[in-house]
Amino acid sequence: MTDLAVKLDGVGKKYRFFQLEKICLKIPRGTIMGLIGPNGAGKSTTIRILMGLVHQDCGDVQVLGRRMPAEQVAAKWDIGFASEDMRLYDGMTLGWHMSFIQSIYPTWDTAYAQVLLKRFGVRAEQKIKGLSHGQRVKAALLLVLARRPKLLVLDEPTTGLDPVARHEILRELTAVMEDEDRTILFSSHHTQDVEQISDRITFIDRGRIIDSMDKEIYLDRWKRLRLEVPSGIEIPALPGIIGIKRTGRLAVAIANAFVPDLPNAYESSGARVQAVEDMTLEEIFVANVEHSREEVEA
Amino acid sequence: MYTEYTEYMKDGFFIAQTDKRPIYLQIMEQIKQRIAVGDWTEGQGIPSIRQLAADAGVSVITVKRAYLELEREGVIVTHQGKGSHVGSNAGLGTKIREQELDQHLAQAARLGTLMGLGPEDLEKRLRAAQDRLARSEEEFV
Amino acid sequence: MKGTIIRHLILKDLRLHRQQIYITLAAGAVALGVCQWGSEPALVVGSVWFFISLIMVGTMLPIGGIVNERKKQNLAFVMSLPVSSVQYTIAKIISTFGMFLAPWLTLVGAAILVIETRHIIPRGAIPMLLILAFMPLVAFWVMTAAALIGETEGWGIAANVACSSSYGLIWYFMTRNSALTAGMTKPAPVWNSAVLTVLGVEFALAAVLLGLTLYVQSRKQDFV
Repeated sequence: MTDLAVKLDGVGKKYRFFQLEKICLKIPRGTIMGLIGPNGAGKSTTIRILMGLVHQDCGDVQVLGRRMPAEQVAAKWDIGFASEDMRLYDGMTLGWHMSFIQSIYPTWDTAYAQVLLKRFGVRAEQKIKGLSHGQRVKAALLLVLARRPKLLVLDEPTTGLDPVARHEILRELTAVMEDEDRTILFSSHHTQDVEQISDRITFIDRGRIIDSMDKEIYLDRWKRLRLEVPSGIEIPALPGIIGIKRTGRLAVAIANAFVPDLPNAYESSGARVQAVEDMTLEEIFVANVEHSREEVEA
Repeated sequence: MYTEYTEYMKDGFFIAQTDKRPIYLQIMEQIKQRIAVGDWTEGQGIPSIRQLAADAGVSVITVKRAYLELEREGVIVTHQGKGSHVGSNAGLGTKIREQELDQHLAQAARLGTLMGLGPEDLEKRLRAAQDRLARSEEEFV
Repeated sequence: MKGTIIRHLILKDLRLHRQQIYITLAAGAVALGVCQWGSEPALVVGSVWFFISLIMVGTMLPIGGIVNERKKQNLAFVMSLPVSSVQYTIAKIISTFGMFLAPWLTLVGAAILVIETRHIIPRGAIPMLLILAFMPLVAFWVMTAAALIGETEGWGIAANVACSSSYGLIWYFMTRNSALTAGMTKPAPVWNSAVLTVLGVEFALAAVLLGLTLYVQSRKQDFV
């Protein structure tokens, strides 16, 4: 058994107006991976490929030690998948769906399903067509969670939800991680959710993976430096700095590989470092996407 | 009537979005507070990393980092496979308070520099703050 | 496990769409009742209703069970279960065809029984009844193939329009072909080569469409 829940190696897929460019992605068991990217970046395509729903043109996909798409049936016994564009049967009740899933999966946990009904504030007798958007998302998630799958793959689970529903879902996802053998991959463009609950982060833009690493290291590497630069002094180009904006005597520098020595380097060049600030994941996301697009175009 | 929050802030740990500091620092501070006020006493076992992550609704890696830093500071002790407990150095509460004070002073120094204040200006403001506090306490007595 | 998951999917479709069977049976029974009123207009109206109920069920099942499942985005839910696209296709074909075949066999059988026992029309009409009853069955396969292979509502509608507009034309030629109509007034069914050829062609068409659907589905790369 490998200790990776998901391993993509050189996976590519070509469409008419979009291309997934030979991406590599590793998700260790027992972690939550947040997949962040703008709309149309390739998040859903990546997720569909690793579910075996879309076949890659090239590259190797392994999920829970199974090769995809060839062994998708065996793999899907242990994967719980819910996506934004997935709908349950309108005319049927949530309870009908629950007994359908229960009849298929031996791992269905009836007691946990009841707890989830209560926590999510949905009722089994309700027909799907009578549910609000948030309740539908929670219903789909309930069906997935109550099976206790080894790997949860969630495409935009919090998109379009009110704060209460979002909070309930994030809670439930972090609760899953009490079991160190379980893994979650979720995509989102809600960076705050990703920052709060994920262990690792993958940035994807225009079909390419820009970064994929440990969240804490990641947040530590990105810093914003506020500088005061006396006129006549040139700001030196330093390693680890990806961008600088100067207006008059003030300048803001963005570092993507911050080291404690960096402020000293500026000080010794004649600039004064007013502050070194942490960046939120959202700020990093925007800066990173902009930077990587410039690099590609250059 | 007050709501007894059970789901939200399950175990009293919470992440303040208005707090600009990294989440792991917030977790560290909340643990230190528990020790400082005496809710968690020396030698007492504390939740496992995964359990606290689930309770606080944050990622495992964030709590792992908070525990590592706390261990480095001697606040908690972790034994491989046996979980963590509150460290046994004497005067831990005071030490933690001192650290907290240092953090606030560092913040004050940073703001002071930003505003172009010298050490004397800062000192003057600190005295003023102490005076205000003393006055407000007198009023209550 | 393989057999089980296909069985689960078939049972699910049955629970979702079984009312189609009841509606068709009820409509067909009413039509056969009307046929027995005794007047010629009643016989014409009843026969037309009879065939329309077969045509309707042959249309509603592929549209409701396959096209709508995709259109209403239930397919992603189904495909998240431990199934392959081939297993999905097999389950879909069995459930949809089964739900079509049950009322079809019942109603065609009942119609033959009515002809045999009530003597409203000569027994020689039975071959034509079968020829005409096989047409909705072929149309069912055209729509099922279009729905599964074409994947879009557009293909389903196109197949539906093509089939619906073909009925009139084919009926026109069938009922004017002397070799087919020659035996209609006879007291016993006449199974001449023309009748057998038409039945054979209908049967072969259905078989080819089934084979084509399975072949194309098994080679698909992207399913949802």
